[in-house]
Amino acid sequence: MSGACFAQQTQNPLAGDPQAAAGGGAAFRPYCTPCHGVRGQGGRGPDLTRGVYSVGDKDSDLFRTIANGVPGTEMAGFASDIRDEDIWRIVAFIRSLARHDVPNIPGDRAAGEKLFWSKGGCGSCHVVNGKGGRLGPQLTRIGRERSFAYLRESVLAPNNDVAAEYATITVVKHDGAKITGIGDLDNFSVQVTDAAGDYYSFLRSDLGSVTRELRSLMPDSYGRLLASGEIDDLLAYLVSLRGAETPR
Amino acid sequence: MKIAALLLTLILAVFAATTVTEQQLRDAQSDPGSWLTYGKNYSGWRYSGLAEINTATVSRLAPRWIYQTGQAGSPETTPLVFGARMFVTESSNHADVLDLLTGKQIWHYHKASPQGLSMCCGEQNRGFAALGGKLFKLNIEATLVALDARSGAVLWEKQIEDYKRGFTATGAPLVVKNKVVVGIAGAEFGTRGFIDAYDANTGDRIWRFYTVAAKGEPGGNTWDGDAWQRGGGSSWITGTYDPDLNLIYWGTGNPGPGLDGDVRAGDNLYTCSLVAIDADTGKLKWYFQFTPHDTHDWDAVADPVLIDMMVNGRKVKTVVQADRNGFFYALDRTNGKLLRAAPYTEMTWTTGLDADGRPKLVPGLDPSEDGTKVCPGLGGGHNWSATAYSPQTQLVYFGSTNGCGLFYRNRQEFHQGQWYQASTEATVPNEPSTGAVVAIDPATAETRWRFEMVTPTSSGMLTTAGGLVFTGDGQGYLVALDARTGKPLWHFQTGGSIKAPPITYTLNGKQQIAIAAGSSMMTFALVN
Repeated sequence: MSGACFAQQTQNPLAGDPQAAAGGGAAFRPYCTPCHGVRGQGGRGPDLTRGVYSVGDKDSDLFRTIANGVPGTEMAGFASDIRDEDIWRIVAFIRSLARHDVPNIPGDRAAGEKLFWSKGGCGSCHVVNGKGGRLGPQLTRIGRERSFAYLRESVLAPNNDVAAEYATITVVKHDGAKITGIGDLDNFSVQVTDAAGDYYSFLRSDLGSVTRELRSLMPDSYGRLLASGEIDDLLAYLVSLRGAETPR
Repeated sequence: MKIAALLLTLILAVFAATTVTEQQLRDAQSDPGSWLTYGKNYSGWRYSGLAEINTATVSRLAPRWIYQTGQAGSPETTPLVFGARMFVTESSNHADVLDLLTGKQIWHYHKASPQGLSMCCGEQNRGFAALGGKLFKLNIEATLVALDARSGAVLWEKQIEDYKRGFTATGAPLVVKNKVVVGIAGAEFGTRGFIDAYDANTGDRIWRFYTVAAKGEPGGNTWDGDAWQRGGGSSWITGTYDPDLNLIYWGTGNPGPGLDGDVRAGDNLYTCSLVAIDADTGKLKWYFQFTPHDTHDWDAVADPVLIDMMVNGRKVKTVVQADRNGFFYALDRTNGKLLRAAPYTEMTWTTGLDADGRPKLVPGLDPSEDGTKVCPGLGGGHNWSATAYSPQTQLVYFGSTNGCGLFYRNRQEFHQGQWYQASTEATVPNEPSTGAVVAIDPATAETRWRFEMVTPTSSGMLTTAGGLVFTGDGQGYLVALDARTGKPLWHFQTGGSIKAPPITYTLNGKQQIAIAAGSSMMTFALVN
């Protein structure tokens, strides 16, 4: 069967093959677990165990997403790495994970929203629906993009998984002045946006030192700052952020 | 009579301008004005005797012209320069011949690549070879084509192997005598690799050396059952040549399937090796296997650089390689015996080498279903990017990656023409790899200096009598380093990621630097 024909199926041609899901699990591990977790429970990528998928629910939707990725998101395409037959096996594996239940998210969404914009101070660094600061990741559709467990970890232990673009950059000028923020570092220059939202660009040769650490600028003190119930409220709000049906 | 003589002189001048002779290839190092073969000379030095651009003047280096190729992706090509022209190959079977003075296109070559190619790494190409009035180029669908250097007309074309079985071709050919020597890619698809030589005039195949020993052949007992038939051993980077020994040196890639060694018990000769082949017959003279029974995709394709140097008080004809497995090696190129080896990057898979150069393995670091962290990662300490050697500093320069990978394995059935690596590598969370330019004393294998980079570099090296090392980086900088210290002396933001090595030549007596960056070809010269 040619790859092209294989890819044009609307239903998984391996759906009746009991070995397909097992084989798909093996292929899933190296390519998918870094973002979706070993059991598809989600992480940096969406939870795949819910049985509903934002890219569409047909087998061909899942195939297309794995093959081509989702433009505008962190989901890359794997068509050049994984042969069509194995993509279908991965689709079979993902189907086998589905629990078709709605996870019980404790907490009060409305209270969480209020916390987000007030006591939590989250809005000073994160955008939701066009409002908020720009230093941290945009959260408008974060409930669709991240699993509940990942969001909980991100709130309580933000240094556990830091994307490269949110690493902390510290520049020290020759006069000792220090600027800390996020930005871009190359072999000869550095660009930094600090907590106030001010943007700086330097040639590294003009600086005393530059360091980049895989450490988040987000405080790791929310576990102490907020009560347990407040954490639940905040998470209920984050999980509810579904954004537009298709990413911008 | 005088007019006839003048006409003859003019005709010869034009003829010479579009022709490269075998003698010119042998003497390429003494012709700094041109760039006639992939590695600058047969020894693969990528060293130029030009010194107009030097540590004192490089600050005045500025762009001269930019040619937009119109092709997506960053080229990996080493251009050739002769006859006031630059010969540039690009991705997806495109090539351009450019006017050296202005960057204007003289002619363009393109052959549509077929549907259904099985490729690991894109429709890349790394350059032309030249002999007589012909250019030789590999096309992605595993064909070798000869073009008229003046017009681009196709003179002959040969199918090397069947792309539907997973073979592709991406390297630059190497012309040796009247032969065009080429390598092949496709180890990720269960192919059996080889190195071929073709008649430059007719395109007829003269010899083939299989990089995977068959059952019953010497080395065939290093494969389990019929695994050799899918044994990999690609030969995708151009080798080097010693005219005195009449030996071609060529690196070979990973065994197949790359990450599941259980289905191919044994050392898997001649994968992950350097092979020395008789240029006339294609017969194996010797081999040195850097990584027996590789399970981490550590191709040994990096440039085998030929250096005559003092080792332990005696002059030795050596071949050196910064291998993907993390060791830098110096071998006696007359017999393949190990002279020196030392790590140049972080390694967790070995505790060192025995006297013959066989690695002592740390147990338990094969790829696994749950992922095994190993350093270096799948791309290795130094992959394919071009190495350079300066006889002035007596140092070898190459780009290195510092980092690790999570190696996964699964069982995979073989289907002809389909991906057959039995899994892959993932990045280690919160441990991004970094890069460096490394300078090594080949006589001791000791690192002299490192220029650290924020990300690994795929651009290769150029070194010059001006005391400089030129290279590029993934963020688009063309960089000049002090060849003795590694200190950065000049850089220029080209606006496109650089995956190709720089070259140098002269135009009207002035030294030029050229580099493929992003979707463009750029040249540089000193300004007052």
